Amino acid sequence: MNTNKNDTAFTVDLTNCDKEPIHIPGFVQPHGVLLAIKEPELTILQVSNNTYNCLGFHPEELLNQPLRKLLESEQIDFLNDCLTQEDIQIVNPVEFTIKTFQEPIIFDGIIHRSNGVVILELEPAILEKNNNYFRFYHLVKLAIGKLQSTKTVTEISQIIVTEVRRITGFDRVMFYRFDRDWNGIVIAEDKQEHLPSYLDLHYPASDIPTPARKLYSQNWLRLIPDADYQAAAIVPTNNPLTDEPLDLSGSVLRSVSPCHIEYLHNMGVKASMSISIIKNNKLWGLIACHHQTPKYVPYEIRHACEFLGQVTSLEIATKEDNEDSESKIEIKSVLAKLVEYMSAEKSFIDGLINKQPNILNLVNAQGAAICFNKELYLLGNTPEKQDIQNLLLWIHNNIDEDIFYTDSLSQVYPEAEKFKDVASGLIALSISKTQNKYVLWFRPEEVQTVNWGGNPNQPVEVSENGGLHLSPRKSFELWKEIVRLKSLPWKSYEVNAAAELRGAIITVVLRKIDELAKLNTELERSNKELDAFAYIASHDLKEPLRGIHNYSNFLIEDYSENLDEEGKDKLRTLIRLTQRMEDLIDSLLQFSRLGRVDMSMQPTDLNAVVHRILDLLSARIEETGVEIRIPRQLPIVYCDRIQVGEVFSNLISNAIKYNDKTEKWIEIGYIEASDPVIFYVRDNGIGIREKHFDVIFRIFKRLHGPSKYGGGTGAGLTITKKIVERHDGKIWVESNYGEGSTFYFTLQKDN
Amino acid sequence: MIGNSAQPILVIEDSDEDFEALRRVMYRQQVLNPIFRCTDGDEALDYLYHTGAYSDPQTSPRPSLILLDLNLPGTDGRELLQQVKQDENLKNIPVIVFTTSANPRDIEICYRNSVASYILKPIDINRLKQTLQSFLTYWLDIVVLPDTVGR
Repeated sequence: MNTNKNDTAFTVDLTNCDKEPIHIPGFVQPHGVLLAIKEPELTILQVSNNTYNCLGFHPEELLNQPLRKLLESEQIDFLNDCLTQEDIQIVNPVEFTIKTFQEPIIFDGIIHRSNGVVILELEPAILEKNNNYFRFYHLVKLAIGKLQSTKTVTEISQIIVTEVRRITGFDRVMFYRFDRDWNGIVIAEDKQEHLPSYLDLHYPASDIPTPARKLYSQNWLRLIPDADYQAAAIVPTNNPLTDEPLDLSGSVLRSVSPCHIEYLHNMGVKASMSISIIKNNKLWGLIACHHQTPKYVPYEIRHACEFLGQVTSLEIATKEDNEDSESKIEIKSVLAKLVEYMSAEKSFIDGLINKQPNILNLVNAQGAAICFNKELYLLGNTPEKQDIQNLLLWIHNNIDEDIFYTDSLSQVYPEAEKFKDVASGLIALSISKTQNKYVLWFRPEEVQTVNWGGNPNQPVEVSENGGLHLSPRKSFELWKEIVRLKSLPWKSYEVNAAAELRGAIITVVLRKIDELAKLNTELERSNKELDAFAYIASHDLKEPLRGIHNYSNFLIEDYSENLDEEGKDKLRTLIRLTQRMEDLIDSLLQFSRLGRVDMSMQPTDLNAVVHRILDLLSARIEETGVEIRIPRQLPIVYCDRIQVGEVFSNLISNAIKYNDKTEKWIEIGYIEASDPVIFYVRDNGIGIREKHFDVIFRIFKRLHGPSKYGGGTGAGLTITKKIVERHDGKIWVESNYGEGSTFYFTLQKDN
Repeated sequence: MIGNSAQPILVIEDSDEDFEALRRVMYRQQVLNPIFRCTDGDEALDYLYHTGAYSDPQTSPRPSLILLDLNLPGTDGRELLQQVKQDENLKNIPVIVFTTSANPRDIEICYRNSVASYILKPIDINRLKQTLQSFLTYWLDIVVLPDTVGR
């Protein structure tokens, strides 16, 4: 930040607590003395201006003086030894005896370095050392024994507050735990009986602003012996070497933020102490001690408390992880089952939702949705399909991560408020963003009974005399609303399990694709066999057929004198049947080969195609006297000329065949401005009942007996349809029974 | 001589040759019953409901027995059977399926639709004759068919 280095006049007005530079207050609490010392000559650079009260020297008598002025040379030597230690704080506290104007006083010297200077803080030692050490050992030993006998986080919390209160004698000791958003809740408490209980009270994150949290995670312990203290200024304000204010982040005497003082006032607290609980390098909670009257805690006891805080931190981390370990094992086994189901089922989605356990069990959700290949599969309690579609669109446009989760969806996606009852919490797992493949999990709103200790949106009340007042606060409604739109938080192992599922799905899907490729190879092979079968059918079956056909003809030729008309008729029937059989075999062969014949696509003038077909059919046309109408020139289209010729041939010959009118006509044309172009062949023939519109395209399915309308194999329309579909087109029929039919088809994909 | 001249039989059969074979056996057995033939399903429906070409109940009387081929042009034999058995007026006419299809699915569907008998058409001419003779004797001489008089 490019701020004026001399600007220490940061005005704290209770609305900017979050920005207050509390690590450089320029003041200390007056129960001890702070000295900033230059190395290696140990010259005093800065002092707190309460030196006269504590040491009997005015600040100006000490500034720029060697430290020798205060300490005997052997103490200086000892200090020098300490300063060469790698971790200088390990020696704290150093016992110093200082010759004040009256008599030597024993101080606890607490040293650390800050921006290149040594900070020495001196607090008058109150306890006798020997006794003190004796107590430390016993206090800590007892407490640690109790802590280690606990099983749960709750038990640890209760024991540590009881022990800390026993050791320190504070009126009230609370265990304050942070949630993910830094709101706090009091999870354990030990207090004087007459005091009101704060147990289970929640506090908004703003009660402990970011800079304060930062300092809590840097220092294990913080003491304010008297909130009504008169702060002692550091003189000079800035370090004369660097011209910067002294960074007191690590100082035990650091002056308290006015915000915090006000806060303590409002709670009726005169002295406070807090011990940080840190898990995985992150502030997890605080042991907060309050006293209604000023209370000084000697360094040794603070030291014991700090140590207990560290032990508690370790225990909490282990216990919390252990508390989840059963759930974690459970979830591992769910994941293993899901992978097994996915592999076993034809569709992996069946494996995820149709078995027990299912994907709900994986993350302890109440609802889930899988969006795959444009289909939406739902499980449990979910929002409406349309709501999910909208949500997916939002996720697609706004979320880049493979996995996204929130326990308060409506905060990022306000529309979610309307389905808060099923989906206040969301995990969105993207399997493939480009193909819109997602798995979503939902958790309902969890309306908790929350006892708020304060409203973060209105931390200040103006009292009648115009003064600012922090609590008790009254308007919690808005804050409660935010809390109402929340689900239970997703635990990290649940989110991890979801992420692991992603890998499993991708693996399974890839394997299925692999299997599909194998199936395709298999299919190709069986197609080839079918091909062979069709050839056998056309050649080998035809051989005996030809025999029957020929011998029937021989019979008529050679024995016609010996046969009466009935006998000859039976032989003619035989010949007719062999021809019919041959037609059937040919159609079958043609149909089976159609799919595998390569297409020869080229720009084709359909007029030429249609006229060629009409030439081929000219005998039938003349015979039936059918009128062919082509209202306008047909277009040039990109297609296979031979196959499309087959289409027209089939449709026109059907139109000729199925017509019992005296004035027969057929119209061949296309619909103007249709895209893709829709061609049609229309007739005024016998028509088709609507219920048969679909079945006429089925192979060998005929609508009339073989002796009616010149017979037929029933393969023509099937072949036609296949050709049209090979051009990515569609074919359909419109007809009025008895009045005529129109067959429509296209030769390219729909737009 | 077998059968009863007051009990018409409706044969629904698209193959002329198969019908011819049936007619031959009937002729030899001297069947008394009048025989009516439809060549496809739609025609059979017209016959049974007296629509289209069969609007006159005198010339197309209600059959006492239906002999049905399954693979028919137009409306399929399976569909036809279902429709007949769902019709309150027609459902008591015994329907005998006479087909080349040995598909177990067809057999199951037909019996589920209360077919009276399911008979396969044998390829061998002697067996065909035997089958048809047994069938005709059984259904026209032994079985009591629902009375059609007065309908």
